[in-house]
Amino acid sequence: MLRSSIKRAASVVAAAGLAVAATVGTAWAEYPEKPITMVIPLGAGGSHDLNARVITSIIPTYLNQAMIVRLTPGAGGQKGTNEVANAPADGYTLLFTHNYIDMLQQHVENLPYDPKADFKAVARINYAPIAVVVRGDSPYQTFEDLVAASKDNPGGIQMAHSGNWGALFVPAAQIMKALGVSWNLVPYQGGGPALQALLAGDADVTMGFPSAIGSHVSAGTLRVLATAGAERIYDDVPTFGEVGVEGDVGFMHRVVLAPSDTPDEVIEALGAAFKALEGDKTFNRMMGRLGENIDIIDSDAYEAMRDDQSVAYKELVKALTSQ
Amino acid sequence: MFEQLAEGFAMALRVDTFVMMCFGLFGGMFVGALPGFTTLMAMAILLPISFFLDPIVGIPFLLGVYKGGIFGGSIPAILISMPGTGAAVATTLDGYKLTQKGKSRKALDIALFSSVFGDTASDIFTILMIFPIAFLVMQFGPPELFAVLLLSLVIIASTSGGKPLKGLVMMMFGLWLSFIGTDPLGGVERFTFGLFELKSGIPLLPMLIGVFAIPEIAIVVMRNQKARQLAALLGERLSMAEFRRCFRTICRSTVIGTSIGVVPGLGQVVAAMMGYSAAKNASAHPETFGEGEIEGVAAAEAANNAVNGPTMVPLLTLGIPGDKVTAILLGAFVAQGLRPGPQLFTEQGSTVFAILIAMVFANLLFLVIGYLSIPFFSRLVTIKVSILIPLVILFAFAGAYVFRSDSFDLVMLVAFGVFGVIARAARFDVMPMVMGFILGPPMEYAFGQTVAMTNGDAFGFFFGERLGALAILLAIPCIGFFLWKRMRSVPAG
Repeated sequence: MLRSSIKRAASVVAAAGLAVAATVGTAWAEYPEKPITMVIPLGAGGSHDLNARVITSIIPTYLNQAMIVRLTPGAGGQKGTNEVANAPADGYTLLFTHNYIDMLQQHVENLPYDPKADFKAVARINYAPIAVVVRGDSPYQTFEDLVAASKDNPGGIQMAHSGNWGALFVPAAQIMKALGVSWNLVPYQGGGPALQALLAGDADVTMGFPSAIGSHVSAGTLRVLATAGAERIYDDVPTFGEVGVEGDVGFMHRVVLAPSDTPDEVIEALGAAFKALEGDKTFNRMMGRLGENIDIIDSDAYEAMRDDQSVAYKELVKALTSQ
Repeated sequence: MFEQLAEGFAMALRVDTFVMMCFGLFGGMFVGALPGFTTLMAMAILLPISFFLDPIVGIPFLLGVYKGGIFGGSIPAILISMPGTGAAVATTLDGYKLTQKGKSRKALDIALFSSVFGDTASDIFTILMIFPIAFLVMQFGPPELFAVLLLSLVIIASTSGGKPLKGLVMMMFGLWLSFIGTDPLGGVERFTFGLFELKSGIPLLPMLIGVFAIPEIAIVVMRNQKARQLAALLGERLSMAEFRRCFRTICRSTVIGTSIGVVPGLGQVVAAMMGYSAAKNASAHPETFGEGEIEGVAAAEAANNAVNGPTMVPLLTLGIPGDKVTAILLGAFVAQGLRPGPQLFTEQGSTVFAILIAMVFANLLFLVIGYLSIPFFSRLVTIKVSILIPLVILFAFAGAYVFRSDSFDLVMLVAFGVFGVIARAARFDVMPMVMGFILGPPMEYAFGQTVAMTNGDAFGFFFGERLGALAILLAIPCIGFFLWKRMRSVPAG
């Protein structure tokens, strides 16, 4: 029994050795000829992790190779991003990230990489529009009520978010900037704890993605005051545009990036595989269960969006930090 | 509710559920036993399998991986002094000493029995009290969490071996180590000396392996000791009398673990240490703790497993995962079309109860699987020292590396290994340091949140408005009491 366990351990080591050896070689006949690693710079169990698990269980059908998820959280997403920035640009190491890590952090901190020069978009998979929510028994019936109360009491409204410069913080800051209001931004370790703080009464308002707040909205424990985007998500809830917050505000784009020197044909091959997911029935069904949409944008179109994001975030950071 | 419970009970009795749970339990135990591979990773990798299974099969399968993995983690902790997670640290304290005395089987047996008992009792309690627990969970915000963490640290410092002052010094050192990296609230770099590797902080696993396993290897090597003579004996299985002796401790730890599970954000690490501390303080012979006391292993294992039941409550009733494991479970629920939240029990009550009842069955199943596997694992210590030591070193380095695939972690492993050897020679207990390191960040975060919530006036808030004040007020006499108790007992012992 012991011998067999040693044998098993040895085979694990051998497999690991092969995997390491495989990532060293860069020559390829026809891409892809070996499994592709998709690095997620975020922790286990988050929405990126879940989305990636669905993507990687379907995409082998279109790539004829496995895609392996590697979670590399740390330093606000910079650890995983840096790892991919330094990986060989052969299409076998990709990054699955979102726009705030990708385009905002460069304006807040000194990064060991240059997001625009070191990375190229492969495809945007989908996006999550944020919603502003209050408790079901909150005195704020509409977004206007909240804005009016915020103007009467600057800094008195407690806004729970998921961490500085994160997916809830940035839209909150953008709303504050657009409407000239001021909230007390209180950080929580993720969107879940922020939502719990709202439900427990520690916070007055928070934000959440429809996939995370859906059951509370239908149960009446949460009320949605406004949602991101040009189109209404809930029939009786206005969009950010309707309440005076214009632009690409409150969208978390889940996007696959590759090191910028990756050959064009590799980007195209990957882009085609991701595009093919749109028509895949199983993929649609599983993403539907997660409450996520599917809206693939190709490399060039998303590159243009990245440029716009960078400009907008630069202004936002300047406006917030100059106060 | 009772109709749904009965219906759920019937739904859970399925052959495929049991078969998949067995796979999950065994696989989880195996992965958990490999240093560097965490239960969390195993669950994340196996999650897609559950997407394609029936909910009453797929989710119990993942729960099996989870439960198997927690016990698996205590196997290297007991056998080679290599805790793979913070939750196994308390088990290491007495577990490895038992192995050195040739009682590794007893140690593994009591770990299994207490785990299963703690888990089962807390699961049943959770199923029956799910709505009252859901109410209690909401009463804990950042100020309360801060206060409870502070109280925990005080109690943990008091249980360390050696002089109390040395324990406090090491805890402070651990707290300081936890400050290295990016400030979690402000995003400012602290003590990183501009090194990018340090920006995400010091990794936990290389520290754990470094300070607990490396010194043990060093001792065997330096003294040219034939550890074989110590560990060659497989030892006997646990006797009924020994289990009965530990029973009070197991019950106490189960209550402690379950209560800690109710507080969001505390988790297994605190539970294991608090259970251990309580057992040591209640014991008539506290000096045997840390020297190979079966009760010590029982206390730690029952407590860290008893956390599991209540942590499911915010997931099920609010749809909010309290930790990373429940975050993965949330994914599994959602992908099955079960949407945890306020309406889950009205819409899908019987399915959810079926899953919860399957969780209880998983525990009982694990009792059998674990009991049959222990002889196999405990053989490890019968390997010749000349092979075992290189093997343990290999495990140490491989474990530290595979966790994040970062070569910097190997540097950390060696650094903490050297530190561990020196600390041991100087008779400094590393346990308070590790605990300070693990509990420092959540405590700091909770404090920062409280300051943010109150626009800077945290002091008034703690003492004016919140429950948290109570725990802080309790912490002060606790320090005094423990110091006094230790001062008196040290010269006597």
